[in-house]
Amino acid sequence: MSALREIEYRDALREAMSEEMRRDAKVFLLGEEVAEYNGAYKVSKGMLDEFGPRRIIDTPISESGFAGLAIGAAMQGLRPIVEFMSWSFSLVAADPILNNAPKMLYMSGGQFGCPIVFRGNDGAGGQLGSTHSWCVEGMFSNVPGMKMVIPATPDDAKGLLKTAIRDDDPVFFLESERMLGLKGHVPEGDEILVPFGQARIRREGTDCTLASWGRPVHFCLEAADALAKEGISCEVIDLRSIRPLDIGSVVRSVKKTSVCVVVDQSWSFGSPGSELAAQVHRHCFDDLDNFVHRVHTADVPSPYAFNLEQEYLPNARRICEAVRAATYNA
Amino acid sequence: MPISVNMPRLSDTMEAGTIVRWSVKVGDAVTSGQVIADIETDKATMEMPVFDDGRIASLLVPAGQSVKVGTLIAVIAQEGEPLESAARAATAVATAAQATPSVPNSSTTATKSDSDASMVAGATAESSDEWAAVRGASVRVSPVARRMAEEHDISLGSLQGSGPGGRIIKRDVQIAMENTRSRSAPATGASELAIPVVANQRPSGGLVIAGLESESVPVSSKRQIIARRLVESKSTIPHYQVSMKFDLDQLMAMREQLNVDLASVGIKLSVNDFIVRGCALAMAKHPYVNASWAGDSISLHTQVNVGIAVALDESEGGGLVVAVLRDADRKSLRAISAEAKAMGEKARTRGLSLDDMADSTFTVSNLGMFGVEHFTAIINPPNSAILACGAAIKQPVIRNDALTVGYEMVATLSSDHRVIDGAMAARWLNTLKHSLEHPATLLV
Repeated sequence: MSALREIEYRDALREAMSEEMRRDAKVFLLGEEVAEYNGAYKVSKGMLDEFGPRRIIDTPISESGFAGLAIGAAMQGLRPIVEFMSWSFSLVAADPILNNAPKMLYMSGGQFGCPIVFRGNDGAGGQLGSTHSWCVEGMFSNVPGMKMVIPATPDDAKGLLKTAIRDDDPVFFLESERMLGLKGHVPEGDEILVPFGQARIRREGTDCTLASWGRPVHFCLEAADALAKEGISCEVIDLRSIRPLDIGSVVRSVKKTSVCVVVDQSWSFGSPGSELAAQVHRHCFDDLDNFVHRVHTADVPSPYAFNLEQEYLPNARRICEAVRAATYNA
Repeated sequence: MPISVNMPRLSDTMEAGTIVRWSVKVGDAVTSGQVIADIETDKATMEMPVFDDGRIASLLVPAGQSVKVGTLIAVIAQEGEPLESAARAATAVATAAQATPSVPNSSTTATKSDSDASMVAGATAESSDEWAAVRGASVRVSPVARRMAEEHDISLGSLQGSGPGGRIIKRDVQIAMENTRSRSAPATGASELAIPVVANQRPSGGLVIAGLESESVPVSSKRQIIARRLVESKSTIPHYQVSMKFDLDQLMAMREQLNVDLASVGIKLSVNDFIVRGCALAMAKHPYVNASWAGDSISLHTQVNVGIAVALDESEGGGLVVAVLRDADRKSLRAISAEAKAMGEKARTRGLSLDDMADSTFTVSNLGMFGVEHFTAIINPPNSAILACGAAIKQPVIRNDALTVGYEMVATLSSDHRVIDGAMAARWLNTLKHSLEHPATLLV
């Protein structure tokens, strides 16, 4: 295949897991429907055939149980990948994933690490209703001791997942059902890893810095196209991981543009977006021409109706409005 | 609860005001409505009343000094409040607001509401009042705008914020930086290169020629606004001029007779009074000369308000104001004369009020008294035309195909071509010519 090979986001995830499982016998995957059914979203398609039932494990519908089991395995030196069909379902496993995994190294005085990856679909946009549309990053990223990664494109999905599997800390890997079918160029090769804490400039610009991660990066790019026609040049920064957070890249950009709009698909109160805005205010205080504007999902439970759900999301129109306001072009 | 008194905005275009005179001193009791100062604006000198009762705790701006609109100029201590603590709050304000404050529209601002103040007492209340006063007068500047202004040595006080609430933003500083660059360019470049730069200069800019010795005279706010308005008028309005010669034999004779007859009642008609009346009457036939260009439309004014340009004495800073005779088309020659005389007198002594200068629809400028034969004038926006009149000069003239001696005057109409076409201007001048040459028509 050529260097411009294009694959779907879900294929990129599978390549990452399969390659790492071939490389390291301690890596295994467990979750609901991951084996016999080839994954609820076909991410693990064919993996049972290649790696067998000892390493591709179908679990009962019991997140608390299999997440806890996997954490125990990680403490004993294995490298589990826990697939949550949706991060919305991980809430019942809050105790193991938030209260045990991220604190294990600290509480055991360094005796037990927890090299585990929790991954699954995060965010609204598929008309799944209020309880199945969670963006958990607002709530979960609050916990120290974890890493949190939210890739926006297939190449990053692969490179970041490989890094996550090799990382010795618990990594919360947030995918999106809305992006699984997204196609993009992913280079060949087993050793293409994307490091954590390195933002990617998706588009260069001079008038406003748009900082985002995950699916809203695409909304930002859409907004930047529209705004360019109005003469407003946006720089779109994809943070890729929010723990660790590459504040340096955002600061460099804001020092250039003097204006920053943070786009985050979680609720605004106590969110990664509010944290990023606070850090930008701290580091760029004398560089800002306006306070950091933020675009989040609306502060209500996710609506079910399609039109309301689209409006609820930090969509391109809402981003454009925020950028115009922040750049005094409203 | 000291009351801050800020430099009020007394006209739409006012950006700064000069305290001509304080009518009170520190310690004086004042009551709501009492005039505490005379303020010179870009247009007029006006009295400034206060809207609260109390005693003057502090006067922060000395007479003669000009400050931006919104600057704290005085502090009033309310009843029972020690003057010192009120004045101290004022000092904090003055320090914080040294650059330029934001621009509140009301001239006085209570720093703290009464109900709020009644809930707290003693020293804490006093100090919190100080902060309230400081906050009230602070300048709004975005952090990056503040930093850039510092780096480029631009005074924030010289900037008008375009952000919300008058916040000075990056764009405002960038524009100021560009202006500074274009102004300073001629000084650094070769003199030949300076010429195109001058041509591109922004209207407000000035050009200092290196190597020439000169005395620098500070410019009054009146002079500044005259400069700005005239540049604006001459550079944005497509001016053109049409001149016409008027035979004033009859008018001069009639005027002489009338002035003899009316001397006993103290009336002395000037040639200009006849001209003003003639201009006003001509508008009925030519509404476009009594109009304003409004961008996508032309406003034909229903009132005819003739402005008369009044030159002020050079010893008092000179300058030019326009006194407005409202409804001049409905006023008799005698009324026009009396009003014009009173206005001219007021302009030269006390200064005209805003009302005296507002709403002109046409302007007459007359340099006849200086023996000027002919000149052209710059339109006084939003007017569309101005008539520049020379003197009625006794000279050899041809009357009935014979050479004789008579009075003639040349007047030149400057018109805004967007509103008035050349033929229109000529027709208007003909109407005026007819009435000035048949002056009895001006009496009825």
